[in-house]
Amino acid sequence: MKSVFITFDQAHYAQILETLDKLSCRGYSYFEQMRGRGSKTGEPHYGSHAWPSMCSAIITMVDDAKVEPLLKRLRQMDEAAPQLGLRAFVWTIEQSV
Amino acid sequence: MSLYEGSVKKPIMTSLCFVAVVILGIFSYTKLPIDLYPDIETNMIMVMTAYPGASAADVENNVTRPLENALNAVSDLKHITSESKENMSLITLEFEYGEDIDVLTNDVRDKLDMVKSELPDDSENPIIFKFSSDMIPIVILSVQANESMPALYKILDDNVASPLARISGVGSVSISGAPEREIQVYVDPVKLEAYNLSIETIASVIGAENRNVPGGTFDVGSDTYSLRVQGEFNDASQMNDIVVGNYGGKSIYLRDVAVVHDSVEERAQETYNNGVQGAMIVIQKQSGANSVEISNEVMKALPRLQKNLPSDVKLGVIIDTSDNIRNTIDTLFETVLLALLFVSIVVFFFLGRWRATIIIVITIPISLVASFIYLAATGNSLNIISLSSLSIAIGMVVDDAIVVLENVTNHIERGSYPRQAAVHGTNEVGLSVVASTLTLIAVFFPLTLVSGMSGVLFKQLGWMVTIIMVISIVCALSLTPMLCSRLLKLQPKQSRVFKLLYGPIEKGLDAFDNGYARLLHWAVGHRTIVIVGCMSFFVLSLVLVRFVGNEFMPTQDNARIGVTVEMPIGTRTEISKDVAMRLYKQWMEQYPEIVMCNFTVGQASTDNVYASMSDNGSHIITYNISLTDPDKRKRTLSEICDLMRKDLAGYPEIKKSQVNLGGGMSVMGGETTIDYEIYGYSFAETDSVAAQLSALLREIKGVSEVRISRGDYQPEYQVDFDREKLALNGLNLTTAATYLRNRINGATASQFREEGEEYDIKVMYAPEYRTSIEDIENIMVYNAQGKGVRIKELGTVVERFSPPTIERKDRERINTVSAILSGAAMSDVVAEAQKKIDQMSIPSGISIQLSGSYEDQQDSFGDLFTLMYLIVILVFIVMAAQFESLTYPFIIMFSLPFAFSGVFLALWLSGNTLNVMSLIGAIMLIGIVVKNGIVLIDYISLNRERGMGIREAVVKGGHSRLRPVIMTTLTTILGMVPMAIGTGQGSEMWRPMGTAVIGGLTVSTILTLILIPVLYCVFASVGVKRRRRKHHERLAASNSNS
Repeated sequence: MKSVFITFDQAHYAQILETLDKLSCRGYSYFEQMRGRGSKTGEPHYGSHAWPSMCSAIITMVDDAKVEPLLKRLRQMDEAAPQLGLRAFVWTIEQSV
Repeated sequence: MSLYEGSVKKPIMTSLCFVAVVILGIFSYTKLPIDLYPDIETNMIMVMTAYPGASAADVENNVTRPLENALNAVSDLKHITSESKENMSLITLEFEYGEDIDVLTNDVRDKLDMVKSELPDDSENPIIFKFSSDMIPIVILSVQANESMPALYKILDDNVASPLARISGVGSVSISGAPEREIQVYVDPVKLEAYNLSIETIASVIGAENRNVPGGTFDVGSDTYSLRVQGEFNDASQMNDIVVGNYGGKSIYLRDVAVVHDSVEERAQETYNNGVQGAMIVIQKQSGANSVEISNEVMKALPRLQKNLPSDVKLGVIIDTSDNIRNTIDTLFETVLLALLFVSIVVFFFLGRWRATIIIVITIPISLVASFIYLAATGNSLNIISLSSLSIAIGMVVDDAIVVLENVTNHIERGSYPRQAAVHGTNEVGLSVVASTLTLIAVFFPLTLVSGMSGVLFKQLGWMVTIIMVISIVCALSLTPMLCSRLLKLQPKQSRVFKLLYGPIEKGLDAFDNGYARLLHWAVGHRTIVIVGCMSFFVLSLVLVRFVGNEFMPTQDNARIGVTVEMPIGTRTEISKDVAMRLYKQWMEQYPEIVMCNFTVGQASTDNVYASMSDNGSHIITYNISLTDPDKRKRTLSEICDLMRKDLAGYPEIKKSQVNLGGGMSVMGGETTIDYEIYGYSFAETDSVAAQLSALLREIKGVSEVRISRGDYQPEYQVDFDREKLALNGLNLTTAATYLRNRINGATASQFREEGEEYDIKVMYAPEYRTSIEDIENIMVYNAQGKGVRIKELGTVVERFSPPTIERKDRERINTVSAILSGAAMSDVVAEAQKKIDQMSIPSGISIQLSGSYEDQQDSFGDLFTLMYLIVILVFIVMAAQFESLTYPFIIMFSLPFAFSGVFLALWLSGNTLNVMSLIGAIMLIGIVVKNGIVLIDYISLNRERGMGIREAVVKGGHSRLRPVIMTTLTTILGMVPMAIGTGQGSEMWRPMGTAVIGGLTVSTILTLILIPVLYCVFASVGVKRRRRKHHERLAASNSNS
């Protein structure tokens, strides 16, 4: 089991859900309103006057085999709209209830 | 879920909601009545009291004065003015605006009841009129007749006036020019004396004979019968056989001492329509009724009524006010449609995408149509004000949608899906869209609070625009995102044809953006030059104020002229008629523009409501002239009026003449007058001051006519009774005077009834016995003992002169000198006149006061300037709240002075004047021009927050916001262009407003685009320096501490 933490511009939300469904990744948690900025490039997402856009995040637990296809699709999504911003990070799950 | 999110998610609900609004709006539109102006609250009550046979001075003393004294106690009274003329006293009570006129009317009625007993016996009961613009006749019909002339009154009364009066909404129908039937008993005074009879005896005998008396009921057998005496005359000739007295044991019949005439009134008005004698039917509407509807009904009824008339009686239309209304409203509709077209073109030009254009433009009809619901719900009408509000709003309703669409497009270009982009894009700009609309509402909402005459105009404008703006913002936050999410595409494909066509435009726009960025770069580096340049431009433009004239309301061309010609007083009707005919023929030849020319001459009877309110007399000729539509003729109304004035000057027999532009029947938009009110009791003194003043005014350039309200003195005979002699003969003054009156004016003995109509039977001296002073001196007065005394033994008959009309204002006698302007600014004329008045020597006890349009203008301008301050403060508050800063709104406010420079410049260049309409334009500008500043400053400060330096932020911000600013400005300007250049009927009214907004907005936008960024630089660098200094101080302090 791996957990994939995806932070993205709000505009990506519908697409990401679709991807998760397609890969039959059922479980996820969704944080609707988040603020943040990228380490290197990309506009900050502050929801402020200067930087009005906001990001959201989804953390999903997937089987190891599904990580690669998921990341591939996410990468495609990011490359299609580089200005919006989308990042994903993968952890290993050690235990769960 | 926010509004925009919901609407993007539920497109069907959203679109159907708006469809419902549009359907309701269209439904309301079909129900809306059409009128020229919004309903004008009545603030005047008129009290009309007839005192037949009395001269102006008698009326003043016996009727007007007691009434005035009583009515003065009515609360909320602003002015009380009165006119006392022969036979009639007219008192006008003017109240403060906003009072309940019904309550006031009751108050007036109570006061009248109290004072009624003090009025002379012969005076009729005072009649109360609620006076408003509703009293203006809406339709004047002409009647041409030949053989039917003698019976015309009855024919018209039965067949035309009564059916017309039954049309709902018609207030009164008066017939002028057709004399009423009257039965006259002309008595020979010599025979009377011989038989020892008097007029009074004869009158009472006739009264006693002409009666039906019920005799009660009685039983005959098993039946009950009623008993009646039917003594009323069936025919006027029956009166000949009445026994009026006995002399020497013989009965004296009426035929022995008098001649009975079944005829028409002795003195009546004659009316000529296009040269043929006939009558005039004046239709006035009830308060609150719709003129256009009534006139439609009247026009529909005419063919039907014509059928019932004898073949020689022809009905025609002299004036139909609804024509003007319909034309004006049609012109405005064209204006609104043109504005819609222009705005659509601008939007397409800048966006280059038809889908985006549709999204924006669709907000226009929705917002506008929705405002019809408001109009219908509040019982308003489609009128100049409500329609020009639409025209004003067209350019502004798209602004919000443009901002939303622009941001959504940005999101899409960055890669969002349209659905997401629509929600997030709207979310980002939602607040600033609301704030910028609030600045506009801050301008228009206070307009709804204006009171008084100008309030009538502005209330509706304020409400309409406020409502339209609110709807447009709802639209921009729901419908626009919804449509964006549906219609906009991620990567729009452009066809080759489109690229070929739009490519050059896009290149041009890009070059424009870059050029502006370079200009801004230069300006930021040369701040002093820019600021000094702009300031000197403003100061220079203030010089222009001197060259822009001002007036109250623009004069409207409604294709009507009213002319009043006065011959020397006492001129007989026949002679006046001759002059009138000659003038008529001359005008018909000289002015092919004349469609209908009607004139009336002679004394009107006291029961003709319409005629009593205007001047009449045997020496007065009144013309009603209607011209072809303004766009079908080369000469304007005022040009023709000026020519007519010249023509009138060519008639030496004419004593005085008035040419009234617009027929003197419109409340607003008539010609501009400056009235000088001369208060003073002595006729001689006020007359000489008036004469001096009118001579002075005539010398001033631009004054086309000067009128003195007090008419020429009328020669009259007065009987000065010697009270001692009266007393010796056992008489009093009233008895003696009544004797005089009954012989000359006639005593109404009774009523002759025929076919349900009543006609007066008047007993008086035969005309040949009342033609000289001797006739009057020989009148025999009988005392209680039946002893006859002649007037010459009781007093002397002397000839004196008295003014035909005595006018009073606030219970003081007044004489008004009015100057009519043509081609000159009111302010200049007033200033020059004041200079001359100061040099005049005015007798003590006499004062001169300025009123008329000038007073109205001063009042309204005062109100509007107060409003302007209020609006500036409100707009500042809204902006300060939005920016959470006091500096930014302050900077933005610098675009205001240039808006006013632009207004003056445009008015000066186009030859328009500063009047209420252009001032409204200037007020609207406050809200419109700051919008540009808000957009610029908002983006510049956003750039700063994103970490740019001051100059970079300014130049980049300007570069990026140029198109939205230019676009929203152009939509507003082009939306106003049809108003500013319109030539249709009524366009004179809104042309100054359109011109003012265009001028102000253009100049202010150009300068705002340069000055505001520069000022931002100045203020921002001051802020930065201050912070730096503080930082250094802190550093120095911490260094010294350590």
